[in-house]
Amino acid sequence: MSRFYLHQQIANGIIEDPDGTEAVDLTAAKHEAILAARQLLANAILAGVAPLGTAFQITDEAGHVLMTVPFADALPPRFITTY
Amino acid sequence: MPHPTQSFVRNSLLSVIDATGYAAIGPHLEPVDLPRGTVLIEACKPFMHAHFFNSGIGSIVVSTVDSRRVEAGIFGREGLSGFGCLLGVDQCPQTTLVQVEGEGYRVSIEALRHACQQSASLRETLLRYVHVFISQTSYTALSNANQSIEGRLARWLLMCHDRVAGDDIALTHEFLSIMLAVQRPSVTTALHVIEGYGFIKTRRGHIAIKDRDALVDFADGMYGVPEAEYRRLIGPFG
Repeated sequence: MSRFYLHQQIANGIIEDPDGTEAVDLTAAKHEAILAARQLLANAILAGVAPLGTAFQITDEAGHVLMTVPFADALPPRFITTY
Repeated sequence: MPHPTQSFVRNSLLSVIDATGYAAIGPHLEPVDLPRGTVLIEACKPFMHAHFFNSGIGSIVVSTVDSRRVEAGIFGREGLSGFGCLLGVDQCPQTTLVQVEGEGYRVSIEALRHACQQSASLRETLLRYVHVFISQTSYTALSNANQSIEGRLARWLLMCHDRVAGDDIALTHEFLSIMLAVQRPSVTTALHVIEGYGFIKTRRGHIAIKDRDALVDFADGMYGVPEAEYRRLIGPFG
């Protein structure tokens, strides 16, 4: 297990992940980012507002960016082309 | 061992019962520390004690077999754990654990049941508390079904604030995500939004309440009714 941080890119900066999360590997951390992005998008859509975030930056404990997960990756492909 | 006098106890239920009621229960109260994470009642296992909190917060959680969880209710010094024993059962499908450390008294369920037979004041007060707790879980259902994550978080912070001393609540985002059954970044984002409005101030592992009245407004009617029921039926709260 390693500790991964999911920092969220927003229009004018970053919402920092203060605590991080334990995950077996980067793939598992990416899965968590996808699930979180879906929930953040859904919460914004239900409220009728624009989502704050555009992507997650997954970093290690030293702060190195290991992967960027755009929120678009959390949507089914047909959703993107239709809406 | 000497037992605590009624004027000494800080648990509200034990404070509001009449002297006869306290005489029935007082001798059976054993002081206990309630460290964070302590499981007071395991789901679907017989439990032996009820716990009257003087401080700290207890949480009643339900989970699926694959560990998806949500918090069904919370209580602090206004309540007790294990009230199912008053309803004639000795196990229940929920887990009760300590969410914010505190201290209180434990009492065996036999002694509690016996004391309730001896004192109408004790019995009626505790049963009214069961009613208030059901009101709280009803509003939790309403909130979970209708509110945005920000609204649910605001309501939950108010419920926590009612039960801690001061304005600082020590909780991690991970813990909040389990309690609200949302992804952890959703908690981080919701806190960011509410902090942006100036209602709270966060630092690592801590949330400070800055504008409680605004937070109540933001909770949009989902907070306040069970708390008013407590004040109407039992006594001072929060």
